[in-house]
Amino acid sequence: MSLSTAFNVISSSFAVNSAQTAVVSNNIANANTPGYSREIANVATNSYGGADVASVTREANAALLEQVSSSTSQAATQQAISDGLSTLAATVDDSSSASSTSGADQNGASPSAMLANLQSALATYEDSPTSSSAADAVVSAASDLASSLNSGSATVAQVREQADQNIATSVGTINSLLSQFTAANNAVVTGLQTGGNVASAEDTRDSIVTQLAQQIGVSTVTAANGSESIYTDSGVTLFQDAPRVVSFTPTPTLIDDVSGAPVTVDGVPITGARSPMPIQSGALAGYAALRDTLAPEYQAQLDQIAGGLINAFAESDQSATPTLPSLPGLFTTPGATSLPSMTATTGLAATIEVNPNVDASQGGNPNLLRDGSISDPGNPAYTYNSTGSASYTGRIQELAGEISASQSFDPSAGLGSSSSLADYANASVSWLQGENQQASDSSSYQNALATQATSALSNATGVNLDAEMTNMLNLENSYASSAKLLTTVTSMFSALLDAA
Amino acid sequence: MTTMSANFVSSQALATSLVLPAMQAQSSLTTAMTEESTGQYADFGLQLGEQSGYELSLKEQVGQLQTLTSNNSIVSTSLSTAQSALSAISSSAQTTLNDLATWTPSANSGASLQNMGQSALQSLIASANATSGDQYVFGGINSAVAPMADYYSPPASAAKTAIDQAFQTAFGVLPTDPAAANISASAMQSFLSGPFAALFQGASWSADWSSASSANTSAEIAPGQTVTTSTNANQPGFQELAQAYAMLSEFGGSELSGAAQQAVATAASSLVSQGMDSMTNIQAELGSTQSAVTNANSSMSSQLAILQQQVGNLDDVDANTTAAQINSLTNQIQMAYELTSRLQELNLAQYLPVP
Repeated sequence: MSLSTAFNVISSSFAVNSAQTAVVSNNIANANTPGYSREIANVATNSYGGADVASVTREANAALLEQVSSSTSQAATQQAISDGLSTLAATVDDSSSASSTSGADQNGASPSAMLANLQSALATYEDSPTSSSAADAVVSAASDLASSLNSGSATVAQVREQADQNIATSVGTINSLLSQFTAANNAVVTGLQTGGNVASAEDTRDSIVTQLAQQIGVSTVTAANGSESIYTDSGVTLFQDAPRVVSFTPTPTLIDDVSGAPVTVDGVPITGARSPMPIQSGALAGYAALRDTLAPEYQAQLDQIAGGLINAFAESDQSATPTLPSLPGLFTTPGATSLPSMTATTGLAATIEVNPNVDASQGGNPNLLRDGSISDPGNPAYTYNSTGSASYTGRIQELAGEISASQSFDPSAGLGSSSSLADYANASVSWLQGENQQASDSSSYQNALATQATSALSNATGVNLDAEMTNMLNLENSYASSAKLLTTVTSMFSALLDAA
Repeated sequence: MTTMSANFVSSQALATSLVLPAMQAQSSLTTAMTEESTGQYADFGLQLGEQSGYELSLKEQVGQLQTLTSNNSIVSTSLSTAQSALSAISSSAQTTLNDLATWTPSANSGASLQNMGQSALQSLIASANATSGDQYVFGGINSAVAPMADYYSPPASAAKTAIDQAFQTAFGVLPTDPAAANISASAMQSFLSGPFAALFQGASWSADWSSASSANTSAEIAPGQTVTTSTNANQPGFQELAQAYAMLSEFGGSELSGAAQQAVATAASSLVSQGMDSMTNIQAELGSTQSAVTNANSSMSSQLAILQQQVGNLDDVDANTTAAQINSLTNQIQMAYELTSRLQELNLAQYLPVP
């Protein structure tokens, strides 16, 4: 081997050394960058015995990345549902910390608790039917119950509208991430064609996929040219060479049975009942489930309670041969002229109110509770207390009994078809708290899984500072050796030239 | 430059490994401290889930029993008022009976009969109009109206007018007419048991004497247990006593002969005895309602204890467990802080010689 060859080898050694140092520096610099995959300089022997950095690759782990993105999606779904349900659950909460007010509210402000208060007020009125304060107490308990249904219904609408806005935000984020992904993907494809370093562009791509997974469940497929395609977890294409258009039109007011618009990709709905391929996970799926399924089901239960109340407190024709239809009594809705049907009770919870005819603050007469004809004051057909006795308790007992009497409900609200009002209201609280607990538990569980997967991915592909420092020491030594070699070869040349 | 992947730990994962557990421990600590101060779970809904409705229904049963127990005091008060009024009526009846036993017809003795009747009738009407709160206890369900009108009011009450008319119809004169002295004892007897007695029954009683309703009030004293909680002034006892006192008051001081007065006194005496028996029966009925209320209260109080225990089982946290939890969480957080600062020291750069 000639001395000049030795020079060439030493020179390649310096080149490799600086390339490796660059990689180590890059790794150390990004030690705390989330989602950074450490780079590895692959060194190979070249034709004349020296070394070259053949390529710089990144330590990727597709399986773990997939796990991170799927558990992130699941966690985001459950988190979205749990956030919405806990807002709803706050309206039926009876925890001691939730009620800072007097002991009367120790059962919380749920329709169920208000119904129990109404029953108590009726029991007291039954024992003092001549007391107008006892009658007022019944009217005020009834009006609390009506407001509790009104505000429950308003909260449902608010939760649905919030979910609708969140869907809009989420769709915006998805579109922006997809356009960022286009740039990163193009960089990878071009880089691979020209043999450049694509590690950083690949990191960007992975990071975008993980952020996308937060919004919508995705899976990825990499083509031979390095281009990556993104599909939703239900199989709808989100990105293939170019981003697809994800669109959504927000609905500003979502009361009663107004349903929100679906999210579409290239015109194909990916949320809602009419979607052929509905997405399964991601925050978007959670918001859609909340807006389209869970909140409307609770709304239906509130409507059933409201309809049940109006029917239970209705007044029937008391004539010897009844001919007139039964009319709404203590509870009614503005302008109602007949009883609501239990199978189409939409919107009752939002509008139910105490009949103004019985409310002293609206000029009504609370004693009609005892005497009847709340529906049509003065009409003898609906008067129960025909003798006008001050201590007539027959009607009050009937009303108190109605709360615990069995009646029919629409089974589509999910709580069975027959039960007493009190039991139905309790079952509704159970349903809501059960769903809330389940969403909260599974949100913690999925979050823990996502954290573990992220940490496993970080361990598999991240940077260990100690390892990089060790590499750095190696490189220092190798640099020193090369320098020493260079000096030695130079002195050999000098000796040779001096001798000549 | 590759490393065994099983042993490889990324510096970032290592540095952040303690952050999440510390945050979780802090959030658990907040919950545990709330639970320690209230003795109950911080969030019933999240704790109980599907059981929330059951817990709420237990609490509502507690509320229902508490309401019934407190309402029963209203019932008890009205029952006691009725009992003491009935005792007053009985004792006034007993006095009248004793006075009648020692009464003999003599000059001016008619006036004493009249006084006897008048004071007893006034006392009967006052007792029958006893109130509890704003309700007349003997009014039946028509509790807003005084059951018995004032007999002696000017202008003459309906009852007095009816009696005068009946007397006039029977004998052609008023009791105050001197000609009334000609009425025989037997004629007087048949008048008292005939047209006069009819004034104190049925429609005449309701029209002239009593505004009470024959329907009694009822109340739920325990879940599903509704009892009659009052009696009314249409009971036979009231009619018999009113009849006895009215005949004494109307015919005692009149112009009647001694024999006729004796017949009045005898008839009155027998009616007062009957009336006292009837009153005793009413008192016994009300007494059994009173004891039903007492029994209901004591059975509800033991039910309340059981229900509250059950609510407690669902809502309450174990104080010892919570205290232990707070201790261990505090330790965990301290340890996490300690380890985080030590991990920062574990850095190769710290141990390399400065070049």
